[in-house]
Order: sequence, then C-alpha cells, then structure tokens
Amino acid sequence: MSKSGAITAPPETEKKEKTDTKGSPDHGYLVICWNDPVNLMEYVTHVFQTVFGWPKAKARQHMMQVHQAGKSLLARETFEKAEHYVHQLQSYHLHATMERDE
Amino acid sequence: MKFIRPKKSARQGDSFVFRMTLGEKELLLTTLKMYPMLDSKYHRLSRDPKATTKAEQEWLVEAMEQQQQEHKKRLGQLLADNQRFFRDDSGTLALTLTSEQMEWMLRVLNEIRVGSWARLGCPDPDAIRPAKMGAGQARFAASMELSGYFQSILLEAFS
Repeated sequence: MSKSGAITAPPETEKKEKTDTKGSPDHGYLVICWNDPVNLMEYVTHVFQTVFGWPKAKARQHMMQVHQAGKSLLARETFEKAEHYVHQLQSYHLHATMERDE
Repeated sequence: MKFIRPKKSARQGDSFVFRMTLGEKELLLTTLKMYPMLDSKYHRLSRDPKATTKAEQEWLVEAMEQQQQEHKKRLGQLLADNQRFFRDDSGTLALTLTSEQMEWMLRVLNEIRVGSWARLGCPDPDAIRPAKMGAGQARFAASMELSGYFQSILLEAFS
C-alpha cells in the first residue's frame, strides 16, 4: 500500500471471526485483501468502512494487516456472499479475491 | 485544492466545499478525462482457478465494464456542468460536492491511479522517475500522482 502510517498490532477481530464460523460448511470461502503498492492507506480504510460497515478502528486494523503482513482475511462466507464482497472490493479496485477455506 | 467546510443544504443534504486555483481545476478535469484507464479484465475473482468457474470470472468482467460505462456517462455530465465550479463571495474558485458525489469521484480517481500504475508496468511507486521516462509514460506517472493527490483531499474531507 502506498504511503506509510503508524504501526499497529494485527487485528484481534480476525481470530474471533475465524472462530465464529469455523467448521460451518456454508462458510467455506475466504474474502482476502492483498497488499499492493498503489492503493492509498486511507483509501483502503475508507473502502473497508464502506463495504463492511466497520468502524474506522477495525477498518484501519485490517488495512494495517494488509500493509504489514501482505494480506488480511476480511470475512469467511458462503460462496455467494464472498463473491458479492469481492465484487464490491474490486469495484473500488482493491486487490481482493475469494479463496476456498481448505 | 483545499477542503473548506461541510455545508448543509435542505435540497441536497450534506455537501462539501473545496477551494482551488484555476490550475488545480484544470489538472483535476484533465485527470478525470483520462477515465477509464483500467482493463476490465484486470481483476481475478480468485487466485485459485479451481475455486471459481469461467462463467463467474466472465460475470466479473461484465460487471466491471458496466460500471465503467456508468461512471463514464456520469463523468460526461459532470464535465458538461458549467455550474459545478463557481466563484465564491471572495472571488475564489470553489467546487461543491455531496458526499455521494465525493464517494463516486473517489472511485473514479482511484481507477485512474491504479490504471496509470498498471500501464507503467506495476512498478514500486518509489522507483518511478518521470524525468527519465518518455512523454507517454511520464503522462501516466503524472496522472497516478495527481489522482492520489485529489483522492487525499477528498478522504480528508470524509474524515
């Protein structure tokens, strides 16, 4: 992601989200946002807030995880919902994909 | 270009006022006119080809093409609207946008930024040196930086 920012810890929310849906066959797809050097950090935070309705602090935590770890798991969903989110994120031109939860 | 203040309007709801020089206005319009910049096949639904079907990928491309057509149409309306930019009481050039218009412009500017970067070959932005490029490539470097500049101002107003 372009432009540097303050370093924060990886999102604690991700572990909870994983636990909430773990083992559910209906939620076998992961929505992942990957790092790229061109999308502005504040823009990525703004898109996460807009698409997922997250508060700014949570959106920023996920943005920082993308920036520092190279990717962030944003949601574990059904195929249809994961596809919807990926379409939404890509309409903002973030580098997002859906992957099978192996 | 500078964000001045949010403005309450009974007809349009919340709107935002930006003050700018004539040069900034010309740069903003010149940048916006470059839309669309990104190939509709740029995005992949999944990194794993087995995770999605060819039809699902094609649907994504169609959705992207449709979005570009809608944005292009709206952009044409914006560029044709002579009232969009105005002189305020102090004689300074200003632009008023609703939050919905800002959201739309932010997306359009980001596509120009990402599309410019893609046409430069997706380099590390810190390694881009316009002075060492040909005119065509330097133009993409400029549009990438300019769209990012205008995006930052819109994002500042949102925050």
